[in-house]
Amino acid sequence: MSELSRRKFIAGTAVSAGSLALSGGLMAFKEPQHLHPTSDTDTPRAKYDIMQDVAKYRKLDSHVHVNLASTDAEVQKKYAESLIDYSRRLQVQKLVLSNPVTRLINGVPDGSPEAFIRNNNIVLAVMKLYPEVLTGSFTFNPVHAKESMDEIKRCVDQGMTNAKVYYQTKINDPSYYPIVEKMIDLKMIIHCHAEVQIGVGGYRMKYNGFKPKNVSIPEDFVDIAKRYPEAMFQYAHIGGGGDWEYMCKALKNSPNVYVDTSGSNNEEHLVDFAVAHLGEDRVLFGSDNCYYQSVGKILASNLTETQKRKIFFENFNNILRKGGRNVD
Amino acid sequence: MSLAGLIVSGPVLDATEFGGHSGFMPASARPYDLMKDVMKYRKIDSHVHSDLYDGPPENNIAFMDRLGIEKMFISRPVTSGEGTPKDFRHYNDLTLKAMKKFPGRLTGQFTVNVPYQKESLEEIQRRVDQGMVGLKVYTQVKINDPLFYPIIEKMISLKMIIHMHSHCQLGLGGYRMKYDTGIRPNTSIPEDFADIAKRYPEAMFQYAHIGGGGDYEYACKMFTHLPNIYVDTSGSNNPEGMVDFAVKQLGEERVFFGSDNCYYQSVGKILASELTESQRKKVFFENYNKILEKSGNSIK
Amino acid sequence: MLIDINAYVGNWPFQQMKYNTCELLLDRMNKFGVDISVISNLNGIFYKNTQSANEELHQEIRSARKFSDRFIPFAVINPIYAGWRDDLETSVKKMGMRGVRIYPKYHDFGITDPACIELVKRVRDYGLPVAFEYRMVDSRQRSWMDIDYVVGTTKREWNLKDILPIVKAVPDAKYMILNYANAAVLTPDEMNLVKTADLIFDTSGRTITNMSEFLKLYGTNKFAFGTHSPILDYLTGQLRIESLQPSEADERVKEQLRSGNAKKMLGLS
Repeated sequence: MSELSRRKFIAGTAVSAGSLALSGGLMAFKEPQHLHPTSDTDTPRAKYDIMQDVAKYRKLDSHVHVNLASTDAEVQKKYAESLIDYSRRLQVQKLVLSNPVTRLINGVPDGSPEAFIRNNNIVLAVMKLYPEVLTGSFTFNPVHAKESMDEIKRCVDQGMTNAKVYYQTKINDPSYYPIVEKMIDLKMIIHCHAEVQIGVGGYRMKYNGFKPKNVSIPEDFVDIAKRYPEAMFQYAHIGGGGDWEYMCKALKNSPNVYVDTSGSNNEEHLVDFAVAHLGEDRVLFGSDNCYYQSVGKILASNLTETQKRKIFFENFNNILRKGGRNVD
Repeated sequence: MSLAGLIVSGPVLDATEFGGHSGFMPASARPYDLMKDVMKYRKIDSHVHSDLYDGPPENNIAFMDRLGIEKMFISRPVTSGEGTPKDFRHYNDLTLKAMKKFPGRLTGQFTVNVPYQKESLEEIQRRVDQGMVGLKVYTQVKINDPLFYPIIEKMISLKMIIHMHSHCQLGLGGYRMKYDTGIRPNTSIPEDFADIAKRYPEAMFQYAHIGGGGDYEYACKMFTHLPNIYVDTSGSNNPEGMVDFAVKQLGEERVFFGSDNCYYQSVGKILASELTESQRKKVFFENYNKILEKSGNSIK
Repeated sequence: MLIDINAYVGNWPFQQMKYNTCELLLDRMNKFGVDISVISNLNGIFYKNTQSANEELHQEIRSARKFSDRFIPFAVINPIYAGWRDDLETSVKKMGMRGVRIYPKYHDFGITDPACIELVKRVRDYGLPVAFEYRMVDSRQRSWMDIDYVVGTTKREWNLKDILPIVKAVPDAKYMILNYANAAVLTPDEMNLVKTADLIFDTSGRTITNMSEFLKLYGTNKFAFGTHSPILDYLTGQLRIESLQPSEADERVKEQLRSGNAKKMLGLS
């Protein structure tokens, strides 16, 4: 029996398994009796084909990385194959790759221009391997103002779509101001790593979370977004392990801050909560390379069809369209 | 009476969002006469002190009158100091004095300190002869310490109960000691009661005040299969469901009413329980009276 | 008339609670003659985002007319959690919450933290009371997962002196100080603050060993009936009032304690 026909067969029998249990024919499965429904109610179980549901939506991954741990071209090439495998398996039309500098040197983030230029070069190289599926965002460190500006120009010229920054500098640090203004001109979103954890980034610091001090927290986004209402910010990965209720509540009244749903955490109700607080236009699909969760958490939500389409694809595509980088 | 009959002042509500309080049929509670319920039951207080928390015995009497408590078994354990024979004799004298002042209403439980073995045994006999009933002991020595063995044997022969202070808390007596809060290490814990009750199945033990602030669920569960351990419900704590839990775990015969001078809670927690009338009577009065009956001291 | 100013629905995560829904609490009220209860949702102590608990309470009360007729809901607000100002406004204006319960120990902020002061002022400006607790449960029977304000340690349970600083900081707010526990000798200034502030205690707490003495100490206008249900038994708070002798409290005073002082605090007339 092929995998597909087996699945179809089980789906087809599931509804009536309760009545089948009475017949001798079922024993042919040699499955333990306790696996069969014992409920005496006749509530039918819906036929649900998850892969069909996965395939139903176009997807644009707003938060996904190349291999963050390697500068080796061969390693990156192999990793790119896994990204393509993901895009096919879960029907993701486009991946916006990034390679922020995550490396710590004695606990301090590496903020050198050499590091961000090297990292961007890796993304640019990987993008070229599968240009129909992969595009990329550029990284920099705003304390190196000139180098950052030069880098932005270089990367935009080579087709990158937006900015991706990390924890070298807080998003509302004055060093960001000229960069934000540049991004306003480019009509591109600034995607910044973000966290909410007690003891991180200035939030209840008596609980030391032992993280770099410049990790951006929602209050930092609220601050910069208020200063630059015409700029667009992407608050990274509300599924990244932090307190997503706090995040969404804090960002509620900042209409130019978007969130992506990526991250390894996929708490039930996370996506619903985000849409309830931020509206259906400010929530973006992303995986942060946690592929199953990224799709599962949205399919499992109570969002409408329209809302799911917006989150999987349209919201981020509308943002990219402003900068002329939309994918359709 | 209900909110329907009241005018609610304050912030204006968005009527579409809030159900509001107007226009409903008033629904109100049936009158409940708490004091009638209080006075309905005969009560023996199996755990209460005089000259300890709330002063002289007059204060005990005032609350007996207030809450319809027929009889109190008062004690004055050695709660501070060395606990020499001089100390415990002095406290027993105080108790005897209170008894004599209010005969028929107050009866004393005697206290001793078992390292003074000979003096303790003599003191027990002397106080029994003076009309005291039952032993009350404290935190000097654990209830299952071998020093207690002769004392317990004496109490078996007297057919009187051994009422021991107890506690059950994180950080006490070997139970999760990283949470130590400095409670006297010789305080008896449920395990100690279980141990001695098995050694002397013919003795009777009263595990003091399950409402004394400790983990009463832990204590009651520990005693489920030990029929010679009784608990009293006294103490300042009156968690909803505590009395029901005790009766469920121990049966309706092994739970005594007691106040430990926390009078309101002592009565409230039993009246608020789901116990039947017959169970309430047992807990308030009959169970402890049955213990008294064994030594010929029951209340008619 | 009997108004309970200190009751809850919801769960206490360390021990099974009985009577902890509107339906079960209403049965309790009907059985024991309680007309109206001020309630909040225990879950709000444990949810990081307390507004979910307020929404649960609101929905439960709205689910039947008999509930909205007999329950006065209080919101739980944590002023160091994102979005709390919106939550407060929604709770008061959209959900009809008639006061706010604040849990500095459980939500982990100082009682005079600027955020707490701001919250109390905002509630004051709505004309509503705030409620603080001495404690939720006796620390001696606490779970290992509960907060560690423990009798006998340097981080002891709270007494009145620990709560008064907020009253001093915002002296014109309305306060409900609940589940009276742990005696403290007040300075003349502190006693004056208690007496002059718009502040009431409920009758549920274990430290009230002799109601009559507490009435003498603080005044008959300072107490209102409260149960701390479903954590404490449903009758002890009532017994403290009903067992007062006529020489200690006449019917007028008893009515003050049963409902008069509560009505004043809650803006009911």
